[in-house]
Amino acid sequence: MEVSKSPSLTCRTLTLLTVSAVVIQIIGLSLFVMGFFPVKSTLSGTSGLESFFPPNLNHSVRDENISALPPAGLFQLYQKLSGVPPSFDRLVFMVIDGLPAEFILGRDGKPPEKVFMEAMPYTQSLLAKGKAMGYHAKAAPPTVTMPRLKAMVSGAIGGYLDVAFNFNTQALLDDNLIEQFTRIGWKIVMLGDDTWIKLFPGKFTRHDGVSSFFVKDTVEVDHNVSRHLNTELNMMDWNLLILHYLGLDHIGHIGGRNSLLMGSKLREMDEVIKMIDRGIIQGQEGNKERTLLMIVSDHGMTESGNHGGSSFEETDSLALFVGPREFGPVSKPNNMANQVDIASTLALLFGVPIPKENVGIVMTEVFKSLTVDEQLRVMELNSWQLFKLLQAQSPNLECKHFKCDVQMDDSGYRISQDYGSVEKMFCCLYLGAATAHESLKSPSTGRTEYDKTFLAYHEFLKTASQWLSSRATDRPSSLLVSGLTALLLSCLIVLGLLFLLVCESDMTKRDQFSRLKIVTRWQLDEIFCLAIVCIIISSMGSSSMVEEEQYVWHFVVSSFYILLLRKVIQSRTLGFMVQTKRDLRRFFPIVVILISGRVLRGWHQGGVNWAHLPDISKWLEQEGSAYISLLQLVSGVLLISTYFFALLSSLRSRKIVVMVISIIYLYPALFILYHIFFQGGKLATTGIGATEMVQRFYAILGFSTVGTLFSIPWMLPLQNSKILRINSHDEITSEHQSKLLLKGLKDTTFVSGWCLMFSWSLLQLLLQQPINSMPLFLISIQMMAAVLYSSRGGTYWAEVAAIYYLGIAGHFGLGNTNNLATIDVAGAFIGVSSHSTTLSGILMFIITYASPLLSLLSMVMYISRKDMCGEVRAKDVGHLLKRNLGFPCLVPLGLNSLILNAYTVVLLLMRNHLFIWSVFSPKYLYVCAATVCVIIGVSIVASSVSYTCLVVSSRRI
Amino acid sequence: MMKNTITTAASVAGESSVNVTSLKALLTHLICGLGLGSAFYAAHSVYAINLTENPEQTIRLLWVIEAPVVILLYSLFQHSSNQCSYLKAVFRGLLGLPTGAIVNALGAIALGAPMIQNFERTIHWSLLMSVLTCVPAASVLGSSWADWQRIFALTKASKPLEYMICIPAHGAVIGAWFGAWPMPLDWERPWQEWPICVTYGAVAGYFVGMVASIGFVVFNNHSVRVKGD
Repeated sequence: MEVSKSPSLTCRTLTLLTVSAVVIQIIGLSLFVMGFFPVKSTLSGTSGLESFFPPNLNHSVRDENISALPPAGLFQLYQKLSGVPPSFDRLVFMVIDGLPAEFILGRDGKPPEKVFMEAMPYTQSLLAKGKAMGYHAKAAPPTVTMPRLKAMVSGAIGGYLDVAFNFNTQALLDDNLIEQFTRIGWKIVMLGDDTWIKLFPGKFTRHDGVSSFFVKDTVEVDHNVSRHLNTELNMMDWNLLILHYLGLDHIGHIGGRNSLLMGSKLREMDEVIKMIDRGIIQGQEGNKERTLLMIVSDHGMTESGNHGGSSFEETDSLALFVGPREFGPVSKPNNMANQVDIASTLALLFGVPIPKENVGIVMTEVFKSLTVDEQLRVMELNSWQLFKLLQAQSPNLECKHFKCDVQMDDSGYRISQDYGSVEKMFCCLYLGAATAHESLKSPSTGRTEYDKTFLAYHEFLKTASQWLSSRATDRPSSLLVSGLTALLLSCLIVLGLLFLLVCESDMTKRDQFSRLKIVTRWQLDEIFCLAIVCIIISSMGSSSMVEEEQYVWHFVVSSFYILLLRKVIQSRTLGFMVQTKRDLRRFFPIVVILISGRVLRGWHQGGVNWAHLPDISKWLEQEGSAYISLLQLVSGVLLISTYFFALLSSLRSRKIVVMVISIIYLYPALFILYHIFFQGGKLATTGIGATEMVQRFYAILGFSTVGTLFSIPWMLPLQNSKILRINSHDEITSEHQSKLLLKGLKDTTFVSGWCLMFSWSLLQLLLQQPINSMPLFLISIQMMAAVLYSSRGGTYWAEVAAIYYLGIAGHFGLGNTNNLATIDVAGAFIGVSSHSTTLSGILMFIITYASPLLSLLSMVMYISRKDMCGEVRAKDVGHLLKRNLGFPCLVPLGLNSLILNAYTVVLLLMRNHLFIWSVFSPKYLYVCAATVCVIIGVSIVASSVSYTCLVVSSRRI
Repeated sequence: MMKNTITTAASVAGESSVNVTSLKALLTHLICGLGLGSAFYAAHSVYAINLTENPEQTIRLLWVIEAPVVILLYSLFQHSSNQCSYLKAVFRGLLGLPTGAIVNALGAIALGAPMIQNFERTIHWSLLMSVLTCVPAASVLGSSWADWQRIFALTKASKPLEYMICIPAHGAVIGAWFGAWPMPLDWERPWQEWPICVTYGAVAGYFVGMVASIGFVVFNNHSVRVKGD
């Protein structure tokens, strides 16, 4: 084939450009992910006694002492060390979901609207009397309930990835107030939103959770909380009572801020506050127990009642302290705080250590009833904690070699100055405050000295808190922009290469067909192939389409194959003269693909909105495990026999090779069947013997696959006995030789592809849940059918794309969704003897991306079925490789790159969307993992095919 | 009354039955459209049901009313061609109804239509689709495999009558395909259920197809006349 009149790409440039595109993509993706999901370095563990000692001191206090102490003893030790007496003994923590602080405190110094004032007479009277102290507690985006609750109890602004990687648990693992209170033996009662129960499983003595699922219900949700209130208020056994009212948020979602229901809901809340205040706070003047009522809201709402973003209306949440005594004069302009400040304030009010990752600062006005020394001590404790956190973030914060020349003006205010580096700034501020505090201990100190120390602490706390919280929420735009640029660049390179390849192959085709006067034109299936990408990209902007992506993929892929069916019927018109048998060979694979695709769709009802509907897997699970294991056995037998049948029917002329391969794979196949048959699929994740057996299986499977891949190009006899017999007395012509080589190459590639697919399927049969064995079989059948369909003719890139699409549709068929909860964590520990995050992560990846990787691996078989025209000679091998590997590698890379880029842009655009954390971010993690999967798959395909080509072409007959 | 007009028009049109005048095409499509419209009207005012609330009954009413209209109307074309009797054409149309329904149902199920729950809806929907797509073709083309292939697999209609079969049928299928798109969205509207929006899409596509088909027929006849001149 002497084509290439155009300045065509050589194989070398193609490879180099592709590899560089992949590298650029990886770099760009990691830059973007680092920028979009900031990972904070965390301090593990829970704060203990060390929080009462200054940083930099390797104090000999050990945590072992703590665990030995009884809770009451621990609390006494805390009190002794902290030097600040707890101001209260019991806490009622009342969360009013979605209540903007504006409703109670007004805005910009103005009182709230009259409607709201009148709706909450009791609360307003408490505020007027000074018995309540209110703050605008600014919430950090995303302003949705769960992250906000976490911020309130831990004082930390969590990174998204920390949450995402807690695959199967939503429980809050960081240090938090609930944990601290449990440690000192508090009994906690929780009434309201069940998010709390998810966050703190097992921490509550009593709880009654309500679901926030029924947004239309505004009455029952709150009634379910209040009905227990009377009994609970009379019970004396709890120390912390958490109430979480959802009704107000629901009203907002239905009717917005100015909904008619809002007034009555506020009145209801006011009644609850009155009841608690009258019931336990005021009622125990003589009593020793001092109760604090803390009323907070997790976030605000926009005019239309939505939330999630970062506008003032959404972030303006409330923190209202209601105590038995007056808090002292409230200074109006100082009532701005951050939501994270609640954690440290509560911790110090109740005399427990501040949670380790807290970035908030104490609300000093609440501590006005303490002595000045105690107030300073409160700030000191907070400063120590923040300084330790700062040290964790920038490890070289030692403050030894910085010279701070503190400049003060006359009134003692520090003049803001340029410190040069962040470390220096924090050191100077911290040391300044510490020295000022130290100097107070000398006897003769005046009022101004106190004020100076107070201010110094305040400045340090404020700067540190701001810096720390910006570290957790800021998305550095430089990283995002450079990441996105790199992604775009790599996408352009891949698409450019693809375009060149398509042009070249078009030209070849035209040269071939020029005699037949057939103009190569865009065909419907090719157009639809591109349309699928466009459809997928445009559907990504809608959160519900992302949630229900399995329907979209199944719909477009089935439509595509129906179009192919139509194409087959078309070609029948042309050729009554063409054999009908060939038509049938093209017809049946599509029917098989369509039927198995439909069964796959019905197997798992994924997604969010219709996940509860019946599906085959649920039905089977109801029927009982006997059916499932029977099904598993059947699908295992079917899968294995299908693979052997495919091997046998494709290599009819090479009986010995088939025999050898069968013997090699006999053990793994039998192992799987044995395991299904005797252990009912529930692979003993317990028991050392079973683990060892699985490990042996991994090793044997790995060895036989790698060994076959390496040796088959050398071993496969090129001289076929049949052909040899005909030509034995003739001289072997060079044409004949090249034909033999070509046949040898095809068969070798086929065997390699078969080995890859079969090993992968066997591995999946072991790892996947028993219920997924049938889908696995169906996906394998689909892949083989797709390879069979495309064995002759057809557009190269469209066929590759079709196989790739099938892989993605199958991904959802195995029950995966765009929600991290569906990742099969249990399977990730099969055959892993010691707890290793890396190994489990790899297994998890293997389980999740079973189908896309199978589709990529099937490319090897696909290449072998394609016409490998061209001379198989050592010097021409580059041309051969480019011809055969170009599309199977570049098309998946290009398609994935397009989707990745589009989704990156979507993620950027949606960064303030309500569902950014619940829908779009998990999906982005899936897209990233899919990119990794494509890169791995393509490199396996490329390396095995090029190895085979190189070896075979170097052999002589 | 209408039928009379058409038959007279057909006899006036003369020798080649395959040559359908623009007026005939217009009238045929008008009657088909009116048939669907009156079915909707009947559902609304006589039986007090609508597609969103009683999809099954409404779709059944739609195809029950539309099927005789389409079969009788399109069989006329076959009748006038003198190739076979009118009754035979009607019979072919009747036979085409379940056959086309099976094909449509298979296609819909492959694309994700429910098999077990709401299966009756699937049946009625595919009967309606059959009326809109296959029945006219069955009446006119009979069992000529080559013609079916040319019109449905290759979309190569050449004569006015073929346009009239081909374009509305494709319109209905494409409309139904697009009509399925709102289904996974979480708008929580009752019409998002199978097969309500798909039926709306199919009917809308059918109407668009009919308008386009009239346009094609007019254009075709015009160019033929110009060529003839």
